Amino acid sequence: MHIDWFVFFSQIVNFLILLFLLKKFLYGRIIGAIDARKAKIGALFAEAEQSRREARTAVEDCERKRQDLEERYEQSLNEARKEAESYRERLMEKAREEIDYLKVRWTEALRAERNNFLQELRQLAGRQVYAATRRVLKDLADLNLEERIVEVLLARIASMDENERGKFRGAAREGGAITVTCAFDIPPETQARLKDTLHRYLSEDMGVVYVRSDNILSGCELRSDGHKISWSMKDYLDTIEERFNAALYEEAQEQRT
Amino acid sequence: MEVVAINQISPDQVILFSWWFVTISATLVYTWLVMGVLVVGSILITGKLSSDPVMTRWQSVLEVLVETIRSEIRDVVKEGVDTYFPFIGTLFLFILFSNLFTFIPGYVAPTSSLTTTAALAIMVFFAVPIYGISKQGILEYLKEYFRPTFIFFPFHVMGEFSRTLALAVRLFGNLMSHEKVIAILLAVTPLFFPVVMQVLGLLIGIIQAYIFAVLTIVYIASATQSHEEAEPKTKEPNSTNH
Repeated sequence: MHIDWFVFFSQIVNFLILLFLLKKFLYGRIIGAIDARKAKIGALFAEAEQSRREARTAVEDCERKRQDLEERYEQSLNEARKEAESYRERLMEKAREEIDYLKVRWTEALRAERNNFLQELRQLAGRQVYAATRRVLKDLADLNLEERIVEVLLARIASMDENERGKFRGAAREGGAITVTCAFDIPPETQARLKDTLHRYLSEDMGVVYVRSDNILSGCELRSDGHKISWSMKDYLDTIEERFNAALYEEAQEQRT
Repeated sequence: MEVVAINQISPDQVILFSWWFVTISATLVYTWLVMGVLVVGSILITGKLSSDPVMTRWQSVLEVLVETIRSEIRDVVKEGVDTYFPFIGTLFLFILFSNLFTFIPGYVAPTSSLTTTAALAIMVFFAVPIYGISKQGILEYLKEYFRPTFIFFPFHVMGEFSRTLALAVRLFGNLMSHEKVIAILLAVTPLFFPVVMQVLGLLIGIIQAYIFAVLTIVYIASATQSHEEAEPKTKEPNSTNH
């Protein structure tokens, strides 16, 4: 084991040369490249971080805008709902008013129709009852219905108390006349009887006026200065009308239920 | 044909050229070969370096190598890595490639010469105080030889010499003995077994390069960091006064 001193110092020199060359051609360049790459990657990371921050900001902006839009949408929706509700209320109110109006009109029309119907019924019934009664009286008792009506009227005049008679007399004193209105023509002899009876029970100088009117249903009435005595089939017909009306009402109630 | 005969213990003994005191031995020739490969390879690879994330395979290999050495140094010295890196890196690369080329038939590792390992160890012997003094100053560095007391001075001096000797002999002994073992095995069993030993030799070469470099780092670190370790002890009373 010996040491060659020339080789020894040569190796030292060789090593120093190698150190210099490697430092120049290897370490410096490699470390430079590594540092440059680190810097580049660092810059890329910084850029990525910046982009990430920008993206996050953009996302937050978008989120904020979305929330604003959503709030505005909700607000608009609520307003639209309120408006629609209000419009619906108005329409409902209008419909109700129209329905009420139509109902009133319909009710009025119905009532008018019913009244017309009852009026016609009343007249028809009056005529039929009158005709039937007249025939029955004629066939069974050989009596004239008109005469019987006048008789009933004369009997009522005769049975009036003094107070009632006084009212008719007062009207006669003031120059008035008694109007006799009948639904039929009164024969002259009957008119004479009527006049005699009036003169006898009321006043001698009392004027008598005869009037024919279809408004008095199969009857006869005496009228003077607002005072009146009469007989007609009106009461009977009123009863019939009243019952018929009640029957119609019950029928309508049953149909409704 | 064997370059170094079995009875020749070192490639220094293979003289290729001699004139007066100049003797060109096999050690020097193989050293220049290794140097040439390292320098030319470095020039070729670093000639087209890229700082982009995408790089060539050779650049990747070199970067991994360089970063591994820097990382090893950083683990020990903590700071000033690039100050020590060229010296330690060159030591490591030179020893590593000197040892790895032993798979080339006819090649003899320069590190199997005691002259080479002694030269390397002597450079470490001088590099340690140079780095220590440049880092701490000559007084602080010399004070280390008298710590904990002046009685330790001769032991420190002996330690410096003995570790230098150990560096030289360890590397030389491992490489030389391995070459001799392979030479003997080739003579005894020329098939298969020497190949296995050759592979083992490559492993030993890598380990020895690593050991030499790491020990150098440790020696340099002990010379440069002793002052920094002692400093907190002097500051401690001041900090407790507050």
